[in-house]
Amino acid sequence: MRGLRVLERILSTIPIVFGVAVIVFCVMRFTPGDPIDVMMGREGHVSQEQIDALRREFGLDKPIHVQLYMFLSRAVRGDLGNSLTKHRPVSALIRERLPATVELALGALVFSLVLAIPIGVISAVRQYSFVDRASMAAAFFGISMPAFWLGIISIIVFSVRLGILPSYGRLPYGLEPARVTGLYVLDSVLTGNVSSLVAALRHLLLPSVTLGAPMAAIVARVMRSSMLEVLRQDYVMLARAKGLTEWAVITRHALVNALIPTVTVVGVQTGVLLGGNMIVETIFSWPGIGRLAVDAIFNRDYPLVQGVVMVYALTFVLANLAVDILYTYINPKINL
Amino acid sequence: MGRRNLFVWFVIMLAMLAGGIISGCAKKAEPPPSDQLRTLSFTIDCENYNKAVAEAVAQQLRELGVDVQVRVWGDWAVLKEALLNKEREMLVNDWGNSTLDPYDLLNPKFETGGRGNYAHYSNPRVDDLLKRGATGTDEAERERIYKEVQEILYDDAPWVFGYAMQEIEASRKTVQNWVPATDSRINLHRVSLTEGDTLVVGIRATIESLDPANHRNRIAETVIRNMFDGLVTRTPDGKVVPEIAESWEAISPTLWEFKIRKGITFHNGEPLTADDVKFTFDRIITEGGLGNGKSSPRKAGLLDPVTEVEKVDDYTVRFHLSAPWPIILQMLVHQQIVPKDYVERVGSEEFAKKPIGAGPFKFVEGKLDERVVMERYDGYYGGSPDIPGAGPARIKRAIFEVIPETSTRVAALQSGQAHIIQSVPPELVPELDKDPNCEVKTVEGTRVYFLEMNVTRPPFDDVRVRQAMNYAIDWDLIIEKVLGGYATRLNGPLLPHGFARHTGLSPYPFDPDRARQLLREAGYRTE
Repeated sequence: MRGLRVLERILSTIPIVFGVAVIVFCVMRFTPGDPIDVMMGREGHVSQEQIDALRREFGLDKPIHVQLYMFLSRAVRGDLGNSLTKHRPVSALIRERLPATVELALGALVFSLVLAIPIGVISAVRQYSFVDRASMAAAFFGISMPAFWLGIISIIVFSVRLGILPSYGRLPYGLEPARVTGLYVLDSVLTGNVSSLVAALRHLLLPSVTLGAPMAAIVARVMRSSMLEVLRQDYVMLARAKGLTEWAVITRHALVNALIPTVTVVGVQTGVLLGGNMIVETIFSWPGIGRLAVDAIFNRDYPLVQGVVMVYALTFVLANLAVDILYTYINPKINL
Repeated sequence: MGRRNLFVWFVIMLAMLAGGIISGCAKKAEPPPSDQLRTLSFTIDCENYNKAVAEAVAQQLRELGVDVQVRVWGDWAVLKEALLNKEREMLVNDWGNSTLDPYDLLNPKFETGGRGNYAHYSNPRVDDLLKRGATGTDEAERERIYKEVQEILYDDAPWVFGYAMQEIEASRKTVQNWVPATDSRINLHRVSLTEGDTLVVGIRATIESLDPANHRNRIAETVIRNMFDGLVTRTPDGKVVPEIAESWEAISPTLWEFKIRKGITFHNGEPLTADDVKFTFDRIITEGGLGNGKSSPRKAGLLDPVTEVEKVDDYTVRFHLSAPWPIILQMLVHQQIVPKDYVERVGSEEFAKKPIGAGPFKFVEGKLDERVVMERYDGYYGGSPDIPGAGPARIKRAIFEVIPETSTRVAALQSGQAHIIQSVPPELVPELDKDPNCEVKTVEGTRVYFLEMNVTRPPFDDVRVRQAMNYAIDWDLIIEKVLGGYATRLNGPLLPHGFARHTGLSPYPFDPDRARQLLREAGYRTE
C-alpha cells in the first residue's frame, strides 16, 4: 500500500516539472536582451547578415511556439540542447559541474545539522539560560547575514589575515584525485589520497560555512521550539517519573518526536541551499552549476539557463518528495 | 483700387512677419522670464561597475537645481536594447580603443548609425570626415581630419567628456619583470619568479574560447596570447613591433607584404610557414571558415578590409585590401597564427579543446570557467626581438584562474594563492598598498569614460543643455575622490596618448555659473 502511494507521489511531480519547463522557457524568451547581441560582445561589430546567420544556426528565427515544441520534445528524451556560448551539450555541462554543487550543498548540510541540532536541543533543555540566549542571538545573526558579506568577511579573516584557509576554488592544480564520483572529498577517501583529502576539506570549509549558516540558524530555532513543545508532553513527564536519566529522556523519547518539523525544514532548505549557491559559488570561485547559471543568464544562453533551472526545480521537487516519504518512517501515524 | 489695397495689406503683413521674426530672435537670446522656467529633469543610466561615478555626477547636478535620478541596470543586454530604441536620456559609458587610433573609437561612436552611437549623434560633415579618416593613407592628412572632427564634437558636445582610466593590476613582490600592458593583456613570456616556478594569474571572468578565431573577448585574448603569437605585437606602452613577421612593407595602400621569420615551430614541432599564416586569416575572413557552417566572429570590425591573403613563397604573404586601411598593423596585433595541418586534421572544435600555437607556453589542460594550465615551450623561437628579454619563457608553468568576485581576487593575491591579478578596483588599492607582499601596478589604459547624451530627444536635443552639462561637472573632484586619482581628464573623445589627439583643446572647465547661464537660456530653472 505504501509503495503504491509513493509511486503516486512520484508521478504527481511530472506535471510540476513540465510546468516549470514551460514557464522558464517563456520567461527567458520575454526577458529583454538577445543572445546573439551579447555573444558579439559589448562593442558588437557585426553586420545584420551575420546576426541572421547565427539566429538560423541556433533556431532563434523560428516562432516561439515552434521553439517551445522543439525544446520540450527534445527534453523528454533527455536532450537539453547545446549551450549557445559554450558550444557544448547542456546536459554534459551540468553533469560536469553538478558534483561541485552537490559537494558544497552536502558540506553546508553537514555543517548546519551538526551545529544546529545540538544547539537547538541544549537551548530547549536549558531554556532562558545564558547558553539559550546566546545561541538564539547567534541564530538571529545567522539568518540576517547576507551570504556575500559573510563570505567576504570570512575570506578576509581566515585567508588574508590568518592565512590558514584558501580563498577560492575546489583544489589547487595537480591535487585532483582520480575521478570516481566527482565529489573530491569522497574521491580522495575512496582512492586513499590523503593530501587531496586535506586540501579538499580546507577548500570546502569556508564556502560550506557561508552557505550553511542561514540554514543552521533556522534549524536551530525550529529544533528549539519543537523540542520545547515535546518536553511539555505527558509522556515525557511519564518517562521522567519512571526514573529514566535525563539523557535517555531527551535522546530516546523527546528528540525523535521533535525531529519531524526539523526534517520538513531541512527538506525545503535543501532547495534553498542549491539556490543560494549562485552567490556563494561566485564569491568562492566554486565551479558548480550556480556559476554556470550566472554566466548563462548574463549571456542569454537560453538552453543553458533552462537546463540549470530544470535541475533546481527537480531538486526542490525531489527534496520535498523525500521529506514526505521520510515522515512515514519517523512517524508511522502520518499517511502519504 | 483693389490692387493697391492688396499691395498695402501685403506690405503690412510682411512687416508684421519680419517684426515677429526679429522679436522672436531677440527673445531667443534673452532667457525667458523666471516664471516660465522649467525644472530640468532626467535619468542617468549606469551599470553596477560605474555606479559610483553616476552618483557623484548626479550629486553635482542636483546642486545646480537639476532633478536627476540614477538608474543602475543589472544587465547590459537589457539596457542596450533601450538605448537602441532611443528611449534613454543620459548614459555613463566607456569604450575601448586598444589600437590607439581614432578609427575604432570615433567611427563607431559618432558616425550616423554607428554600432556604438548611443547618443544617436548625426552630422553629415562629421560622417564625411570620418569616412575619409578611415581610408586615408597620408598620416598628416588623417591627423588634420580627426582634429577637425574633435573640434566639431567639442562644440556639439554629444558627450560629457570624462576621463581615461588607468589599468590597475597587482602582483606579489616575488614576481619579476612584469608590467601591465596598455592594451590590458597579461603576457607572461618575460616574467620570472623569485620563489617557485608556477605562476598563477587571477582573471576576472570566464574565458570564452581558446581558439584565436572564435572569441570576441579581451580575457580570452589575454590567455590565448600566452600560447599563440601574432604577426606583430605591441610593446607594453603600445608601439607595434614585429613578432612572427620579421618585416613588412606597404607595396601600395591596398597591398601589404609580410616576411615571416624562419625557424619558428608550433608546440607539436611542425614549422610555421606562409601556409599557416594564410590558413589563419582565411579561416577568419571566409564565410563558414570555422567549419560546420560557422563563421569567425573576428572579422567584422577587426579585419573587414582584408579581401585576400596570398602566399608568395614559403616565408612571404601579401594582404590584399578592399580599401586603404591605415591601421592594419594595429589590428593584426589581435590575430594569432594557428597551425594549418593540425587544425585541418582535428577540426575547430577539437582544436579549441587542445589548442596548439607557436607562443611561449603550451597548453596542458583547461576548463574555461575554472582554470587553464600551460607549461613553458622549450622550442620557442624567443618572441619579438624588439622587446627586451627575448628567449624561452622564464617560468615553468603558468595557470590562469577564473576568479570573478573582485574581493576574492584581491584576497587570493594577498594570501599568496595568486601571483598576478587583473582589474583591481581603486577602492581596494589602499588595502594592497599596505600589504608588504603585494605591489599595485598601473598603466595608461585604452578605455575612455564619458556620459553619452541622447541628442534625439529633450532635454539633450538642445546643444546648450549638453554644453551646460560639460561645464557643470567637476571631474577633477570625481577623479580624486571616486577614482582614487587613477584617471586622466579628457579634452574631447580621444585618449590622452592616442593618435591625432587635438592638443589645442583644453578640457571643459568646471564652471557652474556658465552652466547655469546656459541652462537658463535653454529655459531651465537653476536654483
